[in-house]
Amino acid sequence: MEALSILVQNKELIKVFFGAIVLLICLIITLKSDRLFRLSSHQGIRHFRNAFFFYGLAFLSRYIIGSYYNPYNLSILLFEFFLIIGGFFLLHSLLWRRFRHIEKGYSSSLLSPITFLFYIMALVLVLLDLTWKAYFFMFLSQIVIFLAASVISYKNFRKKPGKFFPKFYFVAMLLSLVAWILNALAALMLNWNKGILSGVYLINVIVFLLFWIGIMKVTKQ
Amino acid sequence: MARKRERLEVIRDVLKAIQTNRNIKPTRLLYASNLSPQMFKDYINELIEKKFIQIDIDNKEKKTFSLTKKGYEFLQEYRVIESFVDNFGL
Repeated sequence: MEALSILVQNKELIKVFFGAIVLLICLIITLKSDRLFRLSSHQGIRHFRNAFFFYGLAFLSRYIIGSYYNPYNLSILLFEFFLIIGGFFLLHSLLWRRFRHIEKGYSSSLLSPITFLFYIMALVLVLLDLTWKAYFFMFLSQIVIFLAASVISYKNFRKKPGKFFPKFYFVAMLLSLVAWILNALAALMLNWNKGILSGVYLINVIVFLLFWIGIMKVTKQ
Repeated sequence: MARKRERLEVIRDVLKAIQTNRNIKPTRLLYASNLSPQMFKDYINELIEKKFIQIDIDNKEKKTFSLTKKGYEFLQEYRVIESFVDNFGL
């Protein structure tokens, strides 16, 4: 209980620290995957890079800029918008082969028809949450995204049972799913229960650290 | 039946063939890369556009291909790229 009260007392400082850690991890992952994309032009790497680019923007706007400047709760709206797009790109990085005919011929992945669909869907979800003054649609979209990503990564892991990394990726996706379910429960049913939210922050840091460790291991630096 | 090569594997094979046979001629490279003439043309154009390879003219005024610095860099990083794609299921 004492640890929880210390956390609650230093809530704002901890949020900035949490945001800074996640932002740094996103920056490293974006830069490393961008380098590999520029060499290979591999579309999966490109969407993976975009996912962490948008996650980085989300955490920058919510936890770094938003902690000091937040007119009309704009930082929360931007956080939601970028986070949803990041989730779409992460899922797209696993499914891009099925849609490659649509994206053929577009030199920028941020201006392709699928990306425009992501922007529109994210905007609609943000506006719906704004209208209802709740985060229901953000939670729902993230739970659906990570449920799908967990199923796909589980299939990848089953295809390569001897390999360590696909299991690692599946665990990261599953943890993200658990974090979003807990977040939704805490926000929508338990009046933003601080104990559960602290757990969600912790799981999120673990997930981003898992990705960071994975990237460092794969690129061997 | 042998499985179809992925795009990255084809690029690696073409670049390796050029690396092994310095200043390789187009016909020899076509055989070494094991591609159809149309696919070969598409890949070569892409590799030139990306500055992975360059066209040289030898002393008999014949066209040959050689690797650029970026092409060597790709071959060195190929395992990392392959491992990245494989491990993250991309």
